[in-house]
Amino acid sequence: MANTTTYQKTEWDTLHKNGPYPLRFLQVTELEGKANMPSSIDRYNDAAKEIQRLIKEAKDNNHGFRAYGSRWSMSSIAHQKDRMHFNSFMNIDLTVTPSDVHVDSSYDHSNLFFFECGNTIKEISQALGAHGKSLKTTGASNGQTIAGCISTGVHGSALDIGSVQDYVVGLNLIIGPNSDDIVYLERHTKPALDDGFAQKIQARVIRNDGLFNAALVGLGSFGFIHGVTIEAEDRFLLKRYVRKIDKNTALKLAETMDFENSDFTIDGETDANGNGKRPYHYKIFINQYVNDPEYVIEVMYKKPYTTPYPDPFNTIEKSIYRDLIYLLIKISEKFPKSIPWFIKQLEKQILPEVNEETIGTLYETFWDAPYQGPAFACSFGVSIENSSKALKLLADLTKNEGPIPGIFAMRFVKKSEATMAFTKFPITCMIEIDGVLWKKTRKLMSLKEFSHRMIEVLQSNNIPFTIHWGKNADWSYPNLISHMYGENAVSWKEYRNALLSDEMAALFSNEFLRTIALSDVVTLPIEKEEELIASIT
Amino acid sequence: MKISIKTWFRFLRVLIIALLLTSCYSVRIVSTHGTPNPDPINDSDDDYRNKRVIVLDTVIKGGITTSVLEFKTARNGCKSGKLHSVEYKNTFGGSLLYLVTFGNKRKVKIKYVCMKPEN
Repeated sequence: MANTTTYQKTEWDTLHKNGPYPLRFLQVTELEGKANMPSSIDRYNDAAKEIQRLIKEAKDNNHGFRAYGSRWSMSSIAHQKDRMHFNSFMNIDLTVTPSDVHVDSSYDHSNLFFFECGNTIKEISQALGAHGKSLKTTGASNGQTIAGCISTGVHGSALDIGSVQDYVVGLNLIIGPNSDDIVYLERHTKPALDDGFAQKIQARVIRNDGLFNAALVGLGSFGFIHGVTIEAEDRFLLKRYVRKIDKNTALKLAETMDFENSDFTIDGETDANGNGKRPYHYKIFINQYVNDPEYVIEVMYKKPYTTPYPDPFNTIEKSIYRDLIYLLIKISEKFPKSIPWFIKQLEKQILPEVNEETIGTLYETFWDAPYQGPAFACSFGVSIENSSKALKLLADLTKNEGPIPGIFAMRFVKKSEATMAFTKFPITCMIEIDGVLWKKTRKLMSLKEFSHRMIEVLQSNNIPFTIHWGKNADWSYPNLISHMYGENAVSWKEYRNALLSDEMAALFSNEFLRTIALSDVVTLPIEKEEELIASIT
Repeated sequence: MKISIKTWFRFLRVLIIALLLTSCYSVRIVSTHGTPNPDPINDSDDDYRNKRVIVLDTVIKGGITTSVLEFKTARNGCKSGKLHSVEYKNTFGGSLLYLVTFGNKRKVKIKYVCMKPEN
């Protein structure tokens, strides 16, 4: 039997120390050993039973229940004051056989894989690598669990690919303590696995585009994500270049994504006419405190997987004494005017080395990100056409009303089909400021005030935007969600209320969901409710 | 120019901080494959936050003829039995102890993280 250890706690914090938040119980489930239960399916189903037992226990105590993985989110999205469940040890992967594939599936059987919730991006990448396969994209690093990634919309800068949730093609949710509360969701227009597979994991199948898209970026509130089916692809290499280019050229590329007609080219990455090829990845780094006519950019081009290639790990990493960083933060809080100078001095540690070139797999390129002390990140999604204007507004705010101890970057992500994806524009430019966490002083505004002003500035300049679910923001800003998502937010609530009983909707809610007004109970006519969660054939 | 006592103290303070910072350093070897064993209870404010770290901090009486000290991975906290990272810390006190005891006493400060168990 899977075994859960319950720890009595008083508080819980994110990895980057953005809390702390109050907590009663932390629960950690470890699976039955292979030696005692050799079948992976049996151990997977055994774990599902254990989760249902925990859900019942929470329900009987009138408590909330929320799963989390690597606690990388900086917002309070993962937090629940009553019971939090650490699911990282739930890391089975189930084999998908040709007979498991749906008869109408458009997916190549060899690209379909099923992973339990607690598998990290790194574990999944290794498992796929053993089959000569790769994920299509990841975040900038590899430590997040797959369930955490899709619940919060983790993205990289794959401008024609999308975010992590965009290659998830099936979701196994546990939505309550009863036997029919294990469901397997897919899109009805793009089925992947057949009913026989769902039977193996003791789930009832619902194929419904609307429901699937709503649950895909479910903010941890659409039940317990127990497993996901993903579509992988053949392993590939990424050739990575770091360059410093004219900032107008860099920003024009951000606005147009027109690499073919740009002045920017890299030798060997051009077509027969000498025009620039479209990269897989494009990122701009901006130190808003220096008036440099050039920006550091990072581009990556996809290449077929061939060996040999140089060892991408053949480097020595050096880290600064942490006490030194804390000292700099303390000085910055007292003398904010020193922040631009400190950032300039730390540029070598913060920015990639100009003219650096590497080649490696996706797994090797987006590598480990060690904990480096308390950190913040604010990340806004805008349409690429508005990217330069939005960057200028946010950078000016940071300079004029700060300075804030962080620097900006821009990444670019293809639109997601998920109802509540913040990557909602055809190509979304994610403008992000990352830095060290500071405390409000008489001379330096708080993070909440800063993020509040960012929203105000974008709104007052009529720039439509979204905010990364896992990043810092003033989430209590009035009407924020309806401003960003409009009807999609209403639709998301309807699907959630149709799938979950009122009791379970309350159990899977948290303060974050209440703050953004997505936890409300929506009463729908029974016919409409049935329609929303009907399996469409 | 005459340097005041206050300035001398300031200089001394900076010197002591600099010496403290540089009197110890760590070297770590990290596997490029495998995932570190997580630990949701570990709220430390160092590189091992959220990781199940096993610390060996002891003085071993090795004897002057002993060349190598070998440790086995612990069962508790290292279910996989496989190593993800090993950090060795060198301190001024440890080096001094080794010197004054002619190698008889060896300060060992090792932190290691095992691989996350596979399922």
